Amino acid sequence: MMKRRAKRISEWIIERLIQVSGVLGIILVLLIFFFLLRNSLPMFQERSLSDLLLGEKWSPTHGDGHFGMLPLLLGSLYVTVGALIIAIPLALAVAIFVAEIAPRWMREFLKPAIELIAAIPSVVFGFLGLLVIGPWIAEHVEAIRVGQFAALGSVMLAFMALPTIVSICEDALHNVPRDIFNSSLALGATRWQTITRALLPAARSGIIAGCLLGLGRAIGETMTVLMVTGNAQVMPQGLEGFLKPIRTMTATIAAEMGETAVGSTHFHALFTIGLFLFIITFAVNTIADVIVRRSEKDIA
Amino acid sequence: MTYTKLGLTVMLISLLAVATALTGCPPQQSADGVIVEPPIDDAAQGAGASGAINQIGSTTVLPIAEAWQRAFTSAHPEIKINVSGGGSGTGIKSLADGTAHIANASRGIKDQEIQDAQARGVEPVEHVVAYDGIAAVVHPSVGVDTLSIEQLSDIYSGEVTNWSQIGGADSEIIVVSRDSASGTYESWKEMVIQQGGEAEDRDYTPAALKQQSNEGIRSTVAGTPGAIGYIGLGYINDSVKVLSVSPLGGGDAVVPSVESVQSGDYPVARELYMYTNGEPTGAIATYFEWGLSEEGQKIVQEAGFVPVN
Repeated sequence: MMKRRAKRISEWIIERLIQVSGVLGIILVLLIFFFLLRNSLPMFQERSLSDLLLGEKWSPTHGDGHFGMLPLLLGSLYVTVGALIIAIPLALAVAIFVAEIAPRWMREFLKPAIELIAAIPSVVFGFLGLLVIGPWIAEHVEAIRVGQFAALGSVMLAFMALPTIVSICEDALHNVPRDIFNSSLALGATRWQTITRALLPAARSGIIAGCLLGLGRAIGETMTVLMVTGNAQVMPQGLEGFLKPIRTMTATIAAEMGETAVGSTHFHALFTIGLFLFIITFAVNTIADVIVRRSEKDIA
Repeated sequence: MTYTKLGLTVMLISLLAVATALTGCPPQQSADGVIVEPPIDDAAQGAGASGAINQIGSTTVLPIAEAWQRAFTSAHPEIKINVSGGGSGTGIKSLADGTAHIANASRGIKDQEIQDAQARGVEPVEHVVAYDGIAAVVHPSVGVDTLSIEQLSDIYSGEVTNWSQIGGADSEIIVVSRDSASGTYESWKEMVIQQGGEAEDRDYTPAALKQQSNEGIRSTVAGTPGAIGYIGLGYINDSVKVLSVSPLGGGDAVVPSVESVQSGDYPVARELYMYTNGEPTGAIATYFEWGLSEEGQKIVQEAGFVPVN
C-alpha cells in the first residue's frame, strides 16, 4: 500500500518536472524574442526598416554610422544557398544508400559515423578551411585570389549540415511502408525505379523537412563562416560572388559585439541583425515542423 | 583577439543580456548612451592602498591596461583595479565627472575637455604610457618597398585597386584589415585613411578582408599574392615584407622600428595616454611607477606596442 503510494507521488513529481521543463523551453524562447526586440527597437527610431534592409553600406563606426544590412543578408543567403546546393544531393544519396541499398552491418556502421560529423566543433571546420583548404584552392585555382571566400564557407557548412539532413531523410525513407517497396518490385519495376519513383515521393515531406532543418543549421552557423569567408561587407555580384570574400549576419555580430559600447546605435544595430536572424530561423524551423507533422499523418 | 576570447565575450554578453532582460532594470545610461557606473566615493580616490581604481577609456589602450591590471594586482593584491573600454572621449568624460580615476586615451586631451574638467574641479594630468606603431606589410612578391601616407590612404579607401597604379606590377591589390572591434582598426583609419584628419570623409573600402587578430592579418597577407595589411610592430616576422612609409606632405620614407617610433620619425605612430586627476598619489602613484618601470614596459611590448623607454 505504502509502496504504491510512494510510487504515485514520485510519478506525480516526475510528471510535473517534465511539464515545467516543457513550459520553461517555451518561456525561454519567448524571453529571448522579447529581449532581442527590446534591444533592437531603438534602431527603428533611428533608421527606417527599408534603410536597414535595403541599405548597401555597412560601416557602423564611420561618421554617424551606415547600417545597411543588405550586403550581410545577401552574404548569409549566398553562403547558405551554396551549402544547400552541395549538401542536399550528397545527403540524399547517402540517405538512400544507408536506408535502402547498404547491407544491415554497413548501415549500422554508417549511421553513427555520419552522425559523428555533428560532434565536430565548428571551430575545427573553421581551422580546416582557413589553414588547409582555402590556401590550397587559392594556390591552384586561377579565379580565386584569396583563400577566404563565400563558396569555401558553403563547402564547410555543407559538411556541417550533412548529418542533420541525412539523419532525417534516412528516417523518412525507412518509415515508408515496406508494402510500397514490395508492390513496386512486384509490378516489375527495377530497384532504381522503385527508389526514385515510389520511395522518394512517399518520403518527400520528411526529405523537405530535413533540408529545411539543414538550412536552419547553416544560416545560424557563426564560427566557421567568421573564419573562412573573409568578412568583407561587399554586395555579392552574380555567380562570381561565390568566389569572392563575403560577410554573413552571424559573423558580423560575433566580430563586432565585443568592443561595441553597450547602448550605442551600433549595439542596437547588431541586435537588429540578431532579430532578423531569429525571425528567419524561426520561420524555417516552423515550416519544417509543419511538414514533418504532415508527413507523419500521411504515413499513418 | 583570440577566438576563445571572442567566444567568451559573446557568451558573457549574452548571459549578461539575458540577466538584464530578466530583471527588467536597464543599466543606467548617460546622455550619449554609454553605460555609467555608479560614482565612487571620494575617500577611495587615489587614497592609500584601499578602494578600487577605476580605469575607463580607449579600446586601443585597453590591452595594455588589462595586462597591467593582471600583472599589477597579482603583485599588489590589496589594490583593486577595474578596467573598461568605451573610447577615449568616454574615458576623459568619466575622469571629469569623477567616475574614473584614470582615463585611457589614444589621443591627446582637447582644450575643451580640459576646460570641462577644470569646471568640475578636476585637473587632468597626462602620462604617456606607450607608443602605438603600426607597420604596413605586403606579400613578399609585391614589388613595392615604399608608400606614402596618401598612397596608403588611397589603397585602403578603395581609390587605388591595382599595384600598377602606384608603381608596381599589374596585379589586383587585396586589402586586409582588422575588424571594427579592434583599436588598431580605428588607429589606422585615423592616422592613415583619414590622413590624420585631412580626409575625414574617407572610410575603409567595403572590399577589405577583415581579420580578428594581428596574426590573422599576417598569415593572410603572407599567403595571398598582392595582399597588403597592417600589424603592430611586435608582430613583424619574415613571412611578410615591411614597407617604409613616408610622412604626409612628402619626406623621406622611414622603416618602422622601435627606435623610429620612439624618435617620432615613423609616421604611423602615436603616443598612448593615461590621464589622472592631479599628480597621482597613493595606490595610483604606485601603479604608474610600476607601469613605467622595466617590468610594466615589458608588458607593453608583449601587448604589441612600443615601450616609452
